[in-house]
Amino acid sequence: MVRFENVGMRYGSGPEVLRDISFDLSAGSFTFLTGLSGAGKTTLLKLISLAEPPSRGLITLFGEELATARRRDLPALRRRIGVVFQDFRLLAHLSAYDNVALPLRLAGKREANYTRDVRELLSWVGLGDRMSARPATLSGGEQQRVAIARAVVARPDLLIADEPTGNVDPEMGAKLIRLFAELNRLGTTVLIATHDRMLVEETRGREIRLVEGRLMEMRKTAAAYT
Amino acid sequence: MSENGQKDERLSASHIMPREKGAAPLDFVIAVMALLAALALGSSLIASRAAEGWSQGLSDHVTVQVLPPESGDAAAGLAKESAAALGVLNATPGIAHARLLSDAEIEKLVEPWIGNSGVVAGIPLPRLIDATIAPGEGVDSGALTARLKAAAPDAVLDDHRRWIARLEGLADTVRYAAYGILLLIAGATAAVVTLATRAGLDAHHEMVALLHQMGARAGFIAHNIERHYFLSALAAAAAGTAIAALLFQGLAGLEFVGVEAVPFLPPLSLSLSELPWLVAVPAVISLISWATARISVLSVVRAIY
Repeated sequence: MVRFENVGMRYGSGPEVLRDISFDLSAGSFTFLTGLSGAGKTTLLKLISLAEPPSRGLITLFGEELATARRRDLPALRRRIGVVFQDFRLLAHLSAYDNVALPLRLAGKREANYTRDVRELLSWVGLGDRMSARPATLSGGEQQRVAIARAVVARPDLLIADEPTGNVDPEMGAKLIRLFAELNRLGTTVLIATHDRMLVEETRGREIRLVEGRLMEMRKTAAAYT
Repeated sequence: MSENGQKDERLSASHIMPREKGAAPLDFVIAVMALLAALALGSSLIASRAAEGWSQGLSDHVTVQVLPPESGDAAAGLAKESAAALGVLNATPGIAHARLLSDAEIEKLVEPWIGNSGVVAGIPLPRLIDATIAPGEGVDSGALTARLKAAAPDAVLDDHRRWIARLEGLADTVRYAAYGILLLIAGATAAVVTLATRAGLDAHHEMVALLHQMGARAGFIAHNIERHYFLSALAAAAAGTAIAALLFQGLAGLEFVGVEAVPFLPPLSLSLSELPWLVAVPAVISLISWATARISVLSVVRAIY
């Protein structure tokens, strides 16, 4: 599903923020990406989500080597990835409903075919009564849930989330992780960047730990042994 | 109305970008551009029509001027040579009709310069013969001049060629100046829309980057933005062109009530058959805006990975 081979990344002429990263994410896996702030988690997520090209090394995504992929094929690859951004990145002029429906519209789906899904998903994340609300009128936690709903609504092959439970209470956090786990059970590969050690250890999956831009450890989470 | 009962910027697949705020100055500039373009286009149409009219009116006629003889009885000489010249003209193939202008007609012609105080009665004025050329026929000016010289040595043929050439030259100057102005306006419109598009993209860079990140193709993003600029430019240019059309019709109204805009020039209003040409102005300006916006957006979006 995702393969990194000796990948390095620097912004402009700055220092390398990722160095010699190599790992595999198999299809259907559930992985946490951990590390201190500045360890390179967000940059690594950007590389996987095709927001930035690597400075060196090879990345293979959905069996396609990105270095040799045609530029016109990248949008289709991006549509197979759902991303929960740390800063949500909701469109301010659209309602919660329209923000969540956006990936489906970009995929060319007809509204009649997805309206029910969007409404159900928003209700599931506790925003059934806020569908017409603009992001500016939503709390941080509500915005985060809209962002998560938008990332998962198209049932992506790969779901990437950057601190997806950072702004919600523990109960909602657990509920969102159950949503990710359910998607994972249905075949979506999940990669979550988090600082939350408890969340990592209580969820069945793997952990990739970054330290100062290097991959220091790949292991199964504690729950994976139970 | 949206699914959730809200009338808002519901996304139809072609309406993802928000309506630009602060677009009024751009609309105003485009309306002014359209007004100027329509005035330039209208001027070129009027110049073309005038040149055609002048050319047609003058080339259908030749004028023979019989000057008073330098010695002898001027009146008798004028009468004799006028009759001889008239005879030559009537015998010339291609001349449909030749007519000697009366004294009253000649006095009326010189009236603007020397008035009608009766002073012309004592002056030996040249006699004028107006000859009409048969439709579709031509006259060999050189041969006719030679025959006139033989029959009436003081007769001078004027086939208006010099005037036609000068008037056509004037009309061409007006026309080419109008085309130049139209080109300048097209360039300025493209430049203004480029600046506005770039500013709009800067303001919405996050949104464009997000749509790109979510897998929207560059053409899809460009379509949403160029559509906005196309429709705005179409509306603004239509308003500017409508004002120009009203101005032309206003000039027609002035002429109708007897106010001559410019003496000796043809009417400065557009005819009903010429007005539809003005539709080209908003069409071309909105197309320029569309193409400029598309090129700007594609260049920006393609610069993103």
